[in-house]
Amino acid sequence: MIAKLPRVLLPLVALILPFSAPMIAQDWVHAGTNLGNARIRLGVADFKAADSDPATPALKATFDATLFSDLENAGIFDMVSKSMAPVGTPGSPQEINLSQWSAAPASAEMIAFGALRTDNGRLAVYGWLDDAHNTQNPQVLTKQYSEAASQDMARTIAHRFADEIILRLGGGINGIAETKIYFVSNRTGTKEIWAMDYDGQNQHQITHLGSISISPRISPDNSRIAFASLGKEGWAIRMYSLDLGRLVSFPGGSTGGNNQSPAWSADGSKIAFSSGRTGDPEIWLADASGGNLHKVTSFRGPDVSPTWNPRTNAQIAWVSGRTGLPQIYVMDQDGANIQRMTDGGYAISPSWSPNGQFLTFSWDRKYGPGAPGGYDIYVMDIASKRWMQLTHDAGVNDFPSWAPDGRHIVFERNMGGHVQIWSMLADGTQQQELTHGGNNFMPNWSWK
Amino acid sequence: MSVLLEGDEQLERELTGEPIAAPATGSVLLHIAIAGAIVAYYIIGGFYKSNLWGGPSSGGAIQVNLVSSAIPLPSDQPPNQNVLATETPSPAPAPPEPKAAPKVDEQAIPISGKKVQPKPQVAPKNQQKVQQPVQQNRAQYGEQAANNLPRTTQGQTSPGPTSVTQGDFGSRFGWYVDNINRKMSQVWNRYEVDPRTPKGTRVFLIFTIGRDGVPGNPQLDRSSGSPTLDRSCLRAVQRVDTFGALPGGYSGSSLNVSYYCEY
Repeated sequence: MIAKLPRVLLPLVALILPFSAPMIAQDWVHAGTNLGNARIRLGVADFKAADSDPATPALKATFDATLFSDLENAGIFDMVSKSMAPVGTPGSPQEINLSQWSAAPASAEMIAFGALRTDNGRLAVYGWLDDAHNTQNPQVLTKQYSEAASQDMARTIAHRFADEIILRLGGGINGIAETKIYFVSNRTGTKEIWAMDYDGQNQHQITHLGSISISPRISPDNSRIAFASLGKEGWAIRMYSLDLGRLVSFPGGSTGGNNQSPAWSADGSKIAFSSGRTGDPEIWLADASGGNLHKVTSFRGPDVSPTWNPRTNAQIAWVSGRTGLPQIYVMDQDGANIQRMTDGGYAISPSWSPNGQFLTFSWDRKYGPGAPGGYDIYVMDIASKRWMQLTHDAGVNDFPSWAPDGRHIVFERNMGGHVQIWSMLADGTQQQELTHGGNNFMPNWSWK
Repeated sequence: MSVLLEGDEQLERELTGEPIAAPATGSVLLHIAIAGAIVAYYIIGGFYKSNLWGGPSSGGAIQVNLVSSAIPLPSDQPPNQNVLATETPSPAPAPPEPKAAPKVDEQAIPISGKKVQPKPQVAPKNQQKVQQPVQQNRAQYGEQAANNLPRTTQGQTSPGPTSVTQGDFGSRFGWYVDNINRKMSQVWNRYEVDPRTPKGTRVFLIFTIGRDGVPGNPQLDRSSGSPTLDRSCLRAVQRVDTFGALPGGYSGSSLNVSYYCEY
């Protein structure tokens, strides 16, 4: 066809062709499994202070420490230790020497760097992420932030930049640096609901009821907390609005008879909880407003601790004692298709992974007098019922809760009478203690 | 006789001196009370026990095993760069490359009188006629030692067979191609593959990735010959929610990926 065109048009066609091709064509890439699944070696340069404001060094120290710890906690990076990083603080793509970073001992594949400055009470941060092995087009990410100059905002900006890097390099899964953990603490004398950042910072009290409040569950939109509280009518499910800063009514949860362990459905429209109002503790469902109550289990023996499948929003895992010791079961949300998951021992406190594939729970596999069992955190693949033990020989571990990225689990560990909140990666590594004052129980990771 | 009587009197006096009826009755009552308490304890204890969690009897039997993959974390599966991992394991060395035909200079002026005898072309024999059955008792060598390597030395990813046939996506966004490799390695369950599959067998798939990072239209490009391997690799693609949005600098509407799973 080209041959038929007049000769004068040929140079024109040749000129247009290379430009039009990439716009309509789709690129091909070839990849394979044996290319390794190693962690990305990531270097984080200290950010450059771009002015001499006296407030900048303190903010920069907070920012650098938070960014490094967020990326280290992400579980997908092999961090270049600060002592191995090349000297100098590159503040812009022109100032960075990629070959210096990609060479040993840093051996970085990716480098995060940037600059920050305070200007009229505003903190401005410029962040870059470069691919060290791609000298032609190194830039993977460029970000700019401007917030009020405060320690809190320096931490927040670091969280956001870390989450951007994790989203980009972690295969499209959002980071958790801005998520919260809700838990129970007795450090004021009574058990109240508290909240903290995912790394244990910024711990603050939410409820002031002066009673006993346990098992907090945050709603998927982060607006309300459902929890169980001891009142005049015994244990009742209560609802605290974070937007209003006070309790809101939840009528279905206060009708006598031990109402406990609430759980939100993934769309936030329903709440499952355990109630003994008919004599035996059974699983009940209610709308988020507390109406439209109905019972979904009817079997002799207690049924408690429901948790929704966040992926399908159509199944519930819970603990049932219908065969004796408590075991983990799974059913559809209307009570059909009941399936037992654990084969024995004493299994409690299930939490469903965000991708719907796994359950995590606390399990004493050798329960009984004289049996050398301990309560440890386990993860089970629901389809194959294969499981993996995450904690070993370290106190009594209970109440695991998945992080929204599916990579982290927060749980309660009782060591020598001191009960604290710990977090770890979902393969059991990187265990770290998040709380230190008083005793802290029943953590629940927010949905986003 | 009198002695006996005296003895009887003495005995009678001894008996009457310590009345036995009241203590005996008390003792019997006490024993009954203890027995009753034990029975009541078991009845009440059993009642409460069944009302709580029941006895430590296990219910139905369920097979439980170890979880292997699919938690979105990098596994410690080392890259397989074993040169011995081929699709056709054989004790004999690979057949030699066929000899290149001698170049004939067509520009050269033929020397008159000299006769050039063309060498008869011999087709290379296929030396490997029968595929050897996979021996189960082979020694493991090569790749396994990589498990012991410390993590910090995994600085550089091998380029491997990753290549780009069209466009410059691979060179511009190498990190995204690494993303695909990493994500696929995480979701591919090796345990789904029949263990009799020869090591190093590859199945090639093609699929597209939309702008939002969602994979679509996965299909077999070249089968491995092992149905379980083919299926497990296809399932792995179906298991991926997203690879992450395509880089903003890329102008195409989607990305074509050729991917292989190597057992």
